[in-house]
Order: sequence, then structure tokens, then C-alpha cells
Amino acid sequence: MSTELFFVQLINGLQYGLLLFLIASGLTLVFGVMGILNLAHGSMYMVGAYLVWYFVTVTGSFSLAALLSAAIALALGILIERVLIQRLYHRNHLDQVLLTIGMIFVFNALQSILWGNDPYGVAVPAALDASIPFTENSSYPVYRIFAAVLCIAIAAALYFMVSRTRLGMLIRAGESNREMVEALGVNIKSLYTIVFAIGVMLAAVSGIIAAPIRSIVPGMGESVLITCFVVVVVGGMGSIRGAFVGALLVGLISTFAAVLMPGLSNMIIYIFMILVLLVKPQGLFSH
Amino acid sequence: MIFEKRTERIVIPVFFILALLLPLFLEGNAFFVGKLTTIVILSIFVMSLDFLVGRVGLITLGHALFYGLGGYLFVILAPEYEAVNFWLYTVYICGLSALIALVVGTVVLRTSGIYFIMITLAISQMAYYYFFDSLDYGGDDGVFIFMKPDTHLFGLNFFNLDNGVHFYYLALLSLLNTLLFFKLILRSRFGRIVEATKHNAQRTEALGYNTFVYRLICYVIGSTLGAYAGFLFALQYGFVNPSFLTWEMSGTALVMSILGGLGSLYGAILGTFTYEGLQFLFEHLTQDWLLLMGGAIILMVLVLRHGIAGYLEKLLEKKQ
Repeated sequence: MSTELFFVQLINGLQYGLLLFLIASGLTLVFGVMGILNLAHGSMYMVGAYLVWYFVTVTGSFSLAALLSAAIALALGILIERVLIQRLYHRNHLDQVLLTIGMIFVFNALQSILWGNDPYGVAVPAALDASIPFTENSSYPVYRIFAAVLCIAIAAALYFMVSRTRLGMLIRAGESNREMVEALGVNIKSLYTIVFAIGVMLAAVSGIIAAPIRSIVPGMGESVLITCFVVVVVGGMGSIRGAFVGALLVGLISTFAAVLMPGLSNMIIYIFMILVLLVKPQGLFSH
Repeated sequence: MIFEKRTERIVIPVFFILALLLPLFLEGNAFFVGKLTTIVILSIFVMSLDFLVGRVGLITLGHALFYGLGGYLFVILAPEYEAVNFWLYTVYICGLSALIALVVGTVVLRTSGIYFIMITLAISQMAYYYFFDSLDYGGDDGVFIFMKPDTHLFGLNFFNLDNGVHFYYLALLSLLNTLLFFKLILRSRFGRIVEATKHNAQRTEALGYNTFVYRLICYVIGSTLGAYAGFLFALQYGFVNPSFLTWEMSGTALVMSILGGLGSLYGAILGTFTYEGLQFLFEHLTQDWLLLMGGAIILMVLVLRHGIAGYLEKLLEKKQ
């Protein structure tokens, strides 16, 4: 592998890893705080991508479409938590699995009814549609760098929110002792609604950011969901920091494997996960 | 008595008598007999998962690994243009699957909880991609099975696998045997220890039992029966492809088992028939049947707390 190819793969891997982190962070946040195993998390990623595609075709503006889609995702998150998830806090994980699989079915059906089964693409926004020359005969698209920077910014904001704000303090407190937080007069119900809605929005925003780079196809939610599970399990379920490290590792490994070991590229992240779990059965950053 | 609950003593005989008589009403309708056979085979698979998840407490999301192995092992072992003996190959396939389950189980049982769910998923995904990318076994398209096995046993032949009704009865007999087998295991001393392990592993350990070994044996038993179901399914349709191994397959089986009522075993049959029945109905109603199916699943989670079996037991059990 030439140095040039190595650097391109490195940037690709990091960019993919950062995107994975953004999706996985919502999954692990909702699990860590609320103990809810949301299999429909990948569907929210799909919803984000389809919504932004739809609004771009309607309004013609990517940023407007992105804002509209994120707002709808937030509202959707609040609605789902209030109507469905709230009824499951005292049930076991398997009931949650069943309910969220039902949700996957509903979202896939709605996608097919509303937007059909053709694959779509979203054009890269004009302002970012350029390439940075890398060497004489290769260059790197600006949008991919923008996407990576955006992911870092959101990750930093998330970190700031969890570790520095009052909301974050409540989230962390609720994570360790729900009853105590409730006894101190905090409305844990609304807190959970907020956390779930943030989780949904993080997934949808990832879908929005990914829309111009990846194709928008039916079933995109499920494949990303499985990869995200690998990420959070490698990192340690419920740990945001673990999700960050796990996502970068998975992103880099799968990107490099595609070039170096094409025969194993589909399997490599699962092999990696099994190896990690054999050494650390609770993931790398478990509580 | 092998069936301890009143509900079981009513539901199980009613089901099997109806199932035995059904081909008489469907005479000549090969499509429905075939569909019914598929659901019966699937019930075996779901029941083996229900045993693991509901009775042993091993929530696996990779059970499809064994469903696929059941089919692929036949393709790998049997000569292409020669009818092999069904009973002999049942022994081969179950034996090899048990061996594989022993190896896989030793690895996956080192983890627990959500990590167990994920590591089982990972291993079945690896098998999925292995066969998906394989050149020898038809990759994405899978492989056809040209010759159905011969079912002579000691010179007698009860089931001719080319006959749909015969195949149906073979599947039904297998389902009944699976149910009785699991019931016998759970009633035995071994089963009591497994139950104790599920409720409190540490205390069981303290009593001197090696819980790992008990879980491993159960994992091998459940996986082997899952493989047997996959073997039957491959024979019924005459092909194997990677779709046998998808995580959707594992997930759907889990859905059926939870719908039926986790851990009740006979509930697995009810769950499978309900799910498949609803799907059949919805597919005929609308192209967008997934919407109705998803809605029905969500509704059932909210309404039926312990699945269909739990609901029936609420109706039929005598108040203590």
C-alpha cells in the first residue's frame, strides 16, 4: 500500500468511524440511561436520510432540508417515547426487542409506501462540492471532511452536555440511581422523554449527514444497526466514551480490510468483536 | 404427568389432533399442505430457541446459524446425484451440528447478558458472510438439492419425501418428538438444575454444580434441534441459501417465541402459527402487509404480557 493510499484510507476510516459514533452514541445513551434496547434505532437513521432527500427535492436547499428533518426527528422521538416506550420501562429486554422489531416493520412499510423502493441519492450541497488536491493525481472531497468535522462538533457538544450541564448531571444521576433522582423531585418521566428524543435525533442527524455520501436504499437502517451494535458492544454498552473508541476502531478496521483483505472484509468486524469480547467480556470501557 | 399445566393438557392434544386431521380437509391442495409443513418445521426451530431463551436463559440472536448449518451440512456431506438414507443423514447432521455447537458454545458462553446476544449474532453473521461469499456453495444464490433422501428404515418405509402429505406427517411427528423431548429433559434432575441455574447461578454454583457445563449441554441440545429443523426445511424446498443464516431469521424466530409466550414450549407452536397466519392474511389484504404486521406485533406486546400461552393460562388455569 502506497503512502498516498494509506492516508486516503486513514481519512476514510476516520470519517466512517465518526459517522458510526454519531449513530451509536444515541443507541448507547438510551440503553445506558433508560435501559432500553432500541432495535429501531437504525430505522431512525433511515428516516433522517429519506427525510432530507425528500425535503431537498421539495425545497432545493440542503441546509433547510437538514433543519426540517432534524426537527421532525425530534418530534418523532418525543411521540414514540410518550406513546410506546414509556409503557416498557418495567418490562424485560425481550419485550423491548419485540416492540422495537414491530417498529422496524412499521418504519420500513412507511418508507415503502411514502417513497417507494427505488434507491435515491442526495447531491452534495453546492458550497461544499469541491475537492482538496492531495497529490498530483488525487484529491479528497470537501464534503467528507465537512462531515467528519461536523461529527466531531456534535460529539463535543454531546460530551459537554453530559459532563457540564444540569441536564447532563441529571442524566448521569438517573443512570446510577433512578429512584434517588426521582426522590429529589426531578421529573424523571420528562427526563427520559428528552433522552430518548435526543437519541432519535442523533440517529436521524447521522442519516442526514450521510445522505450525500451514501445511497439511500430500503434496508439501510438494519445494516447500520448491526454495525452500531458491534460498536457499542466493543466499547462497552452504555458508555459514550467506549462508543467513540469502538466506532473509530470499527471504522478503520473495516475500511482497511476492504483494501487489504477483500475476502474477509464483510466478516472482519465480527471477528474483531469476538476477539475483544474474549479478552474483555464486558467491552473495552464497561462501567 | 408430563404436562403439568391444565392449559397444556388441553391445548397440546387439540393442536395435534387438528394437525393430524388437517390434510384430510386440504386433500389435493398441495400449496396449503406445503405451507403447513413449513410452519410445522419452523415451529421446531422456534421451540428449540424458546427452550434456550425461555428455559435456560440464553438469549441468542444467532440461532439461525444452526438453521443454516442443518441445510448446508447436508449439501456438503451428501453426494449430489444419489438418494442417501434420511435417517443416517439425520444422525450425521445432528451429530456434526452438536459438535459445532459444543465449540461455539464454549466460546460464546464466556459472556453473558447483552454481550451474549451480540457474540451469538456475530458468529452467525460470520457464517452468513462465509456462505454468501463462497464459490463452492453457490454464494448468494445457494445450492439446489436434486435428490431427496430415501426414508427406508429396517426395510420399512413410512414416509416418502416426494409426497407432500408424507413430508407433512414427518414434520409433525418431529415437532411432537421435540416437544416431548424438551419436556422430559426439563422434568428430569438435569432440568431442575438448569432451572436453578437460570434463577440463581451463583447459588447453584455454590451447591457444587458447574453451571457452565449445564448451560453448554443445553446450548448443544437446542442448537442441534435448530439444525434438524433447518435440515428438514432444506429438504422440503430442495435448496439452501444464505437467507437461512440471516439475523432476520433469528430475530423472527425470537419474535414468534415471545409472541407465543416465552419458555412455555407449546407457546412456540402457537406463536409460529399466529405469526405465519397473520402474515399470510395481511399479504393477501395489502401489498403493504409489513405495516399491519408491525402494528399487530406492537399491539400484542402492549396487550399480552406473557404471550399467547400466558393469556390462555390466565383463562384456563384453576384459581389457586
